[in-house]
Amino acid sequence: MSLVDDSVKPVTTEEPKAEWDSREKAAKSVKIHSKDVDVYYGDKQAIMGVSLDIGANQVTSFIGPSGCGKSTFLRCLNRMNDTIPICRVQGTIELDGGNIYDPNIDVVELRARVGMVFQKPNPFPKSIFENVAYGPKIHGLTRSKTELEELVTSSLKRAGLWNEVKDRLNEPGTGLSGGQQQRLCIARAIATRPEVVLMDEPCSALDPIATAIVEELIDELRSKYTIIIVTHSMQQAARVSQRTAFFHLGKLIEFGQTEDIFSNPKEKQTEDYITGKIG
Amino acid sequence: MTDAATQPTAQQAGAKTGISALTKKRYAAEKRFRLYGIIAVTIGVLALVMLLTSILSRGLPAFSQTFITADIYLDPAILDPEETRDPTEIAKVMTFSYAPIISASLGALAEELQAGPVPDASPQLLADMISGAANAQLRDYVISHPDEIGETVEFEFLANARIDQYMKGNVTRVSAEADSRVSPVQLDIADALEQEGLLVKRFNWAFITAPDASENRPEAAGLGVALIGSAYMMLIVLVLALPIGVAASIYLEEFAPKNRVTDLIEVNISNLAAVPSIVFGILGLAIFINFMHLPNSAPIVGGLVLTLMTLPTIIISTRASLKSVPPSIKEAALGVGASRMQAIFHHVLPLAMPGILTGTIIGLAQALGETAPLLLIGMVAFVRDYPEGLPAGLFEPATGLPVQVYNFTQRADPAFVERASGAIIVLLAFLVVMNAIAIFLRQRLERKW
Repeated sequence: MSLVDDSVKPVTTEEPKAEWDSREKAAKSVKIHSKDVDVYYGDKQAIMGVSLDIGANQVTSFIGPSGCGKSTFLRCLNRMNDTIPICRVQGTIELDGGNIYDPNIDVVELRARVGMVFQKPNPFPKSIFENVAYGPKIHGLTRSKTELEELVTSSLKRAGLWNEVKDRLNEPGTGLSGGQQQRLCIARAIATRPEVVLMDEPCSALDPIATAIVEELIDELRSKYTIIIVTHSMQQAARVSQRTAFFHLGKLIEFGQTEDIFSNPKEKQTEDYITGKIG
Repeated sequence: MTDAATQPTAQQAGAKTGISALTKKRYAAEKRFRLYGIIAVTIGVLALVMLLTSILSRGLPAFSQTFITADIYLDPAILDPEETRDPTEIAKVMTFSYAPIISASLGALAEELQAGPVPDASPQLLADMISGAANAQLRDYVISHPDEIGETVEFEFLANARIDQYMKGNVTRVSAEADSRVSPVQLDIADALEQEGLLVKRFNWAFITAPDASENRPEAAGLGVALIGSAYMMLIVLVLALPIGVAASIYLEEFAPKNRVTDLIEVNISNLAAVPSIVFGILGLAIFINFMHLPNSAPIVGGLVLTLMTLPTIIISTRASLKSVPPSIKEAALGVGASRMQAIFHHVLPLAMPGILTGTIIGLAQALGETAPLLLIGMVAFVRDYPEGLPAGLFEPATGLPVQVYNFTQRADPAFVERASGAIIVLLAFLVVMNAIAIFLRQRLERKW
């Protein structure tokens, strides 16, 4: 189980400072820009004036106590909140400079660009192959069957699941273990060749070993995708992310480099949360 | 009542620990509840057993029928006096004229019986033992075989209902004394004929395939027209109610905005499911027959009325099964960029399909057994002609199985009692077949995880 040993080590803190700085520069290319975002569920305001820039090819983590609005904000980024009739979003959220709440934006295309992994592993009750192939199929990403097979293979490889499932692609995805199912969901999300992958507490239903594997995977995926992860585990945020945003009661309290947030928080509330006084 | 003696000690123990008395109470409650459950199930099973035994014991005899074999001389003097052998000429001879041919041909047999076991036998008594349907049977044969006129042909006729009931043990010599339609002598003749092998009781397909018959010849009555009518109506209900019901449910469940209008629609759908079926019959009469001028007694009208009646059942069960699909599946589909429709048709609907099918079959079964609305739209009529094939047959008069049961029970002749029970058996068999199809389909679909 060398995998486990490697990944349990906090990824970010181990990195050399120089590399960290150069990546920080690259991250200056803002992938998602949000300004004054308010979200209402009916009359209740769930998000209050959140402005946040997410850099490309970074892992950004959202932390905060339950009900603080971090998941709600995450779901605004691929407009999953559209499925809730009473939910209303105000303010601007831009992906590569284009407003995603523009009426001309097709939400289906947006979700192909901004993939999502959910809290509970939710593979389709179909075969492993079908699970990964579904996204590319409905978006017409591949022209031939061999191309589709290649895409499925590469997605499964990138999700670190290929070796475990290559002999049983036609077996149901629901027959895999919890950790495998979640990696299958990640493979499914990256099969549509997204630019951003949103992860809503992807490890909360997994055991520590599976969590470690998924965390290592997240770190690997960073080179190709912009990743935003909502997590309840501060250790996880510290391990996998470069930047961390702390939400409390619908407000963005503090946002900065993960190192700074955990070692030197500027706000009292942040300090209280990470030291366990609130939340 | 040994409990009474042990109770104080139990209470003492309970007072000491504070748990055991309460625990005992809980176990007792559990035991009691289990007992109630067993009693309830037993009552249900007993009722079912009683129902089935009564129906089977009364209805099964309807599937066998008594037949009398007789040699009939096809007398050219009556059937074809001008010797043309032309079917159109022969058809001019009405069924009424065939009665003398039968009684004349039975003379030899009557003499044989007089000499032997039944001295009182006469050709007329013998002829009366044969069903009134025999004349028509003979005429049909002669018209299709005109070249056999003048020859003697062996026929197997249905026996009169009284003789048939005698063979089944429901008519006795005592009851025959008081009956104007059968005499003890005829019962003697029946015994004698049976010994000679001229009178046999065997399985009667005609009960399932033949059309209904008139009041005084129950032995010839069958369910053919009713079966076709019921099958046509079920087809209409399936073709209309399933797509309409599923489409309405998907819209209401997944697309409709939640506001007062949709609330009102939902309440009304639930209420419609509880509306007495006869109300749907009146609706069908007013709309389909009086307003749209569709034909009376036709399966199309029955099917439409039953569709209206079945729709709420299908909508309610479909919505329930759509709701039971975990929302995470839909979210997953939306998350990879499926449109709402793709998410529903590719993922939600296949998972809900077993439940939808179950609901549909329950609705169909309900519709199959429905009598009241059919009475109002004229499907209670006496229909002897088979409806044609699809689609023309949908517009021709027919009856349905439950209405046929009702019809049989309305008739005076006691021989119709077994026919009504037999019709119920056929109806139940129809239901079992439908349920079997549903179970089969459900298992096929569920195997896809």
